[in-house]
Amino acid sequence: MTDHRRARRRGQGELEALVLAALREAEGPATAGWVQERLGGGLAYTTVITILTRLLEKGAVTRERAGRSFAWTPADQAGLAARRMRKVLDAESDREAVLASFVTGLDPDDERLLRDLLGQARGAEDG
Amino acid sequence: MGVFVFLPLVLPLTAWPVARLAEQRLHPRTATRLLTAVAAVMALCSTVCLALVMVVGTAQLPGNPLPDGWSDPEVRAAVPYDEVVGKAAIPALCAVVLVSARALWRHGRVRRRAHRALAGLPGTAVAVLPDDVPYAYALPGGGRRDRVVVTTALLDCLEPAERRALFAHERAHLAARHHRFLLAVRLAALANPFLRPLRTAVAYTAERWADEEAAKTVGDRRAVATAIGKAALVSRGTPVATLAGLAAPGPVPRRVAALLGPAPAVRTWPSVFTSVGLAAWAAAAGTAVSAMSSANAAVTMFLILRAATPL
Repeated sequence: MTDHRRARRRGQGELEALVLAALREAEGPATAGWVQERLGGGLAYTTVITILTRLLEKGAVTRERAGRSFAWTPADQAGLAARRMRKVLDAESDREAVLASFVTGLDPDDERLLRDLLGQARGAEDG
Repeated sequence: MGVFVFLPLVLPLTAWPVARLAEQRLHPRTATRLLTAVAAVMALCSTVCLALVMVVGTAQLPGNPLPDGWSDPEVRAAVPYDEVVGKAAIPALCAVVLVSARALWRHGRVRRRAHRALAGLPGTAVAVLPDDVPYAYALPGGGRRDRVVVTTALLDCLEPAERRALFAHERAHLAARHHRFLLAVRLAALANPFLRPLRTAVAYTAERWADEEAAKTVGDRRAVATAIGKAALVSRGTPVATLAGLAAPGPVPRRVAALLGPAPAVRTWPSVFTSVGLAAWAAAAGTAVSAMSSANAAVTMFLILRAATPL
């Protein structure tokens, strides 16, 4: 009980990091029970489930049904970063002013012109 | 001081010709530096003059916190006091300060958030994100490491030489600190709307600058051109709103066409006998007049107000 309370007192972010680290050490999908054991029994089973669910909402883990419970897998960091980055970009309407983008949008006339130019470039290369 | 105090507010008009001509007739690096410098100085002068007019306007308001002497008839006679202009300058200056502060704050926020989004990744100079939306950005460090962010969707549609061109382009943005130029002209355009054409021009010439650097790095202008073309065609999902048919070719076709042509000549300052030279000199003269009249107005105002302030 004292252990449990000490665990509670730790920040939620810290607990999430602990659970995520434990999941990464697993070979393949792991159950919540496995995570609880791995963390040394300091956390109640329900707490582990709560944290895993929160991580699922953040997109940091994925889960699949395995019998009567779920098997959990950590999401890949690159995919997570990609989703977070997309969120940042979608939220900023004037991001072009901050991040120099490689290309900007095209209107239909631009698109036609661009295809012509690229066609010419290819023609020059072949010829 | 007379009417000169209002000059810096309209002198940005003298930079319009060069903003229009520089993107074709000057080397993109020269154009970016010239236009940014002109925009920054003119924005500063115009804001100083707005502040001076605002002081005059504020001094006329009943219950203002300024010394009583500042609204004496002598002061009114010495500065071009116009009730409407003086009072209009108050909300105008407040608006300039507010929108500039907001732009700066947003700039910092986007950069912080973007770095945070990449936090879990190894700290390499290039972050490749698995995403089916094609995009690439140069993310300046600001205390952290500069990074090039690019998605797999964009890399997948490019040949190896074109990928090198893409990375070289983004690295050129970071190496030359293009975000500072872009931020400077953005703030300038907010301070004085007459400077907006300079902002558009610099946004374009900075891209051209990075394109030319990339062409030099990979040694193949056509690879850079096709990289830009392909990237634009795969990411065309968000068309820009323009009047089709009336619009001039957008920035991407202009960049590709420029790369398919010969490399621009590097000259530090164009001859006065060309149209772009004439335009550049006109802008330089406008900037000088702007700086002189705002300095003159500021000094005159300072002396008058010091004389009018009881010590």
